[in-house]
Amino acid sequence: MASVTLKNIKKNYTKDVCVIKGADLEIKDGEFVVFVGPSGCGKSTMMRMIAGLEEITSGELYIGDTLSNDIHASKRGIAMVFQSYALYPHMTVYDNMAFALKLAGTPKAEIDQRVKKAAEILQMTHLLERKPKALSGGQRQRVAIGRSIVRNPKVFLFDEPLSNLDASLRMNMRVELSKLHQELKTTMLYVTHDQVEAMTLADRIVVFNAGVIQQVGTPLEMYENPSNLFVAGFLGSPKMNIFEAQVVGVEQSAAVVRLPKGISVRAAVNASTAKVGDKVTLGIRPEHIQLCEENDPEGIPARVDLTEHLGDIVLAYVEIPGINEIICAKLPSNMTGLKYGDSVRIKFPEKHSMLFDAEGLAFKRVRS
Amino acid sequence: MFKSKELNRIFSVVLQYASLSAFGLFTMFPLLWALSFGLSSDGSYAYLFPDSFLPHVADEAGGYGIGATLVWFERVFVEIPFSVYFKNSVIITTLAVVGTVVISVLAAYPLSRMRFFGRNFIFVAIIATLMLPQETALVPNYITIVKLGNFADWLQLTLTGSDAATWKKLIGMNSYLGVVLPGVAGAFGIFLMKQAFEAVPQDLIDAARVDGATEMQILWRVMLPVTTPSIAALAIFTLVNQWNEYIWSSIVMRAKDMQPLAVGVFNDLTGPLSGSQNTLMAAIVLTVIPVLIFFAFTQRYFISGMDGAVK
Repeated sequence: MASVTLKNIKKNYTKDVCVIKGADLEIKDGEFVVFVGPSGCGKSTMMRMIAGLEEITSGELYIGDTLSNDIHASKRGIAMVFQSYALYPHMTVYDNMAFALKLAGTPKAEIDQRVKKAAEILQMTHLLERKPKALSGGQRQRVAIGRSIVRNPKVFLFDEPLSNLDASLRMNMRVELSKLHQELKTTMLYVTHDQVEAMTLADRIVVFNAGVIQQVGTPLEMYENPSNLFVAGFLGSPKMNIFEAQVVGVEQSAAVVRLPKGISVRAAVNASTAKVGDKVTLGIRPEHIQLCEENDPEGIPARVDLTEHLGDIVLAYVEIPGINEIICAKLPSNMTGLKYGDSVRIKFPEKHSMLFDAEGLAFKRVRS
Repeated sequence: MFKSKELNRIFSVVLQYASLSAFGLFTMFPLLWALSFGLSSDGSYAYLFPDSFLPHVADEAGGYGIGATLVWFERVFVEIPFSVYFKNSVIITTLAVVGTVVISVLAAYPLSRMRFFGRNFIFVAIIATLMLPQETALVPNYITIVKLGNFADWLQLTLTGSDAATWKKLIGMNSYLGVVLPGVAGAFGIFLMKQAFEAVPQDLIDAARVDGATEMQILWRVMLPVTTPSIAALAIFTLVNQWNEYIWSSIVMRAKDMQPLAVGVFNDLTGPLSGSQNTLMAAIVLTVIPVLIFFAFTQRYFISGMDGAVK
């Protein structure tokens, strides 16, 4: 087991094409860290650099206490699980798992013992003699994970390992990966573009965008206190609702902003750096939007555009006259009566409203 | 409705089989003709269509009937040193197949999977040789082989002090290597293997690299097994080409006991002083059979090798 430390890591493909623009990160021993971000944000490149499959243009990579920039992939003590599984098609499951150990010259008896143990952990002892083409997608992924377990690596790297599986299998494997981490207690790095995977698996999440680390933190911390608009928009499903707004009042523990059409909203943030008249962005998550009574003075009149009944919840897409954005509200499942065209009144609770400045950086939230 | 559908189906199946059979006959007819000619007792019916496609044997009354005789096949072994030619062909072809596969694989792997300065230029230069007709290489190759022989001679004299000129027989004129060497580093083989290696998913190579394989181990234990169909194809192409190759072999192999089948059969059985055409046809059939047998054994490797590797 080992920690992983990145110090000002950069990656250029050519002089002008810079995909990682200086990343600093410390991953503790035994931690499960998820790299998440949209396609092309550099998260996979980052992982490939840690694996030793891409050269590091500049900066330092430490695995444990060893500077690993120029150490060959096989000597870094890492094991990697690929999105495509990358099983050797001409070898049986057993040989796939034993390949690395054979290359390292491990005695036969030990190979046998380690392969069988890994197969037991992943409950695939009965598959050992099969070739990859005789396996289902989920089984192949298990073999790929098994192949990395047998090597007793210091760090596991997972490059979008579940994206080729169907939804239900993906959920099962997610649970199994979590269990595996608890069992092995090895450092794990996991790349995904699926924020649900990130939220459920991670001890800490690292959000990437355009080659820059946007924020690092525990899943809940990131969800509750996103440091900027990108993180706020990326984590959470459905996405956070955001509105262009203007500051009209700054108080000690709240800011008052005005949306178009003169609607004012209070947000519990420390906006001491903002001035009246600044352009800001108001953000509120769908589950925090409330429906309120006709006579509630804070209620904003709106019209239902579409409802989606998901069984446990109802998603209502509503429109406030004069504001272009469609607002998504997550409502309890008993709100089945809503239908297209209904007039409702909605409320943005002060304590759940977030505010971002013109550069997209979040104002610190104030908790009462 | 059902009837017409059923008729349609039968009609289309019949049509498919008929056209495939016609195509098969069209490609097979020279060989069938040679076979029928070789099995006939003489050439009386050889040029009469369509009788020529069935062997005819003379009966005691002086007439001809459909039948077969192996007399000309026996004559082949009497009239020419067929087994010597056959042995030479086997040696030359084996060397060519092994040499071509080894060199193509070793050259194609870095060209397809490693990044180094001048990679594209080298590949273009290799491909450019495909543009030249093979005949242009005859003279330079001839001079090279003669000089290689002389060099071997000199080396033997210098190193061992012997003037027996035995080393020359390994690489100069009248040597197996002399026939094989100019062909083994062919652009076609390198191109074919490069394409095959490029089709292997990068993840598979990365996985092997993480597993601790060196480049040679990746090539040997991962790349080669998954590209078996391409290697089989290359081997068969090389085998057929080398087995049938005539011009270069006839230039290098002056000594009769070193000649392969294509050269030996042509030299001995054609021309104004040759024996009967039936013997020639029998010899041609005997020449082709080994290639057909080899193909029958290797065609099963032409199935895809990448199933289950990724996704």
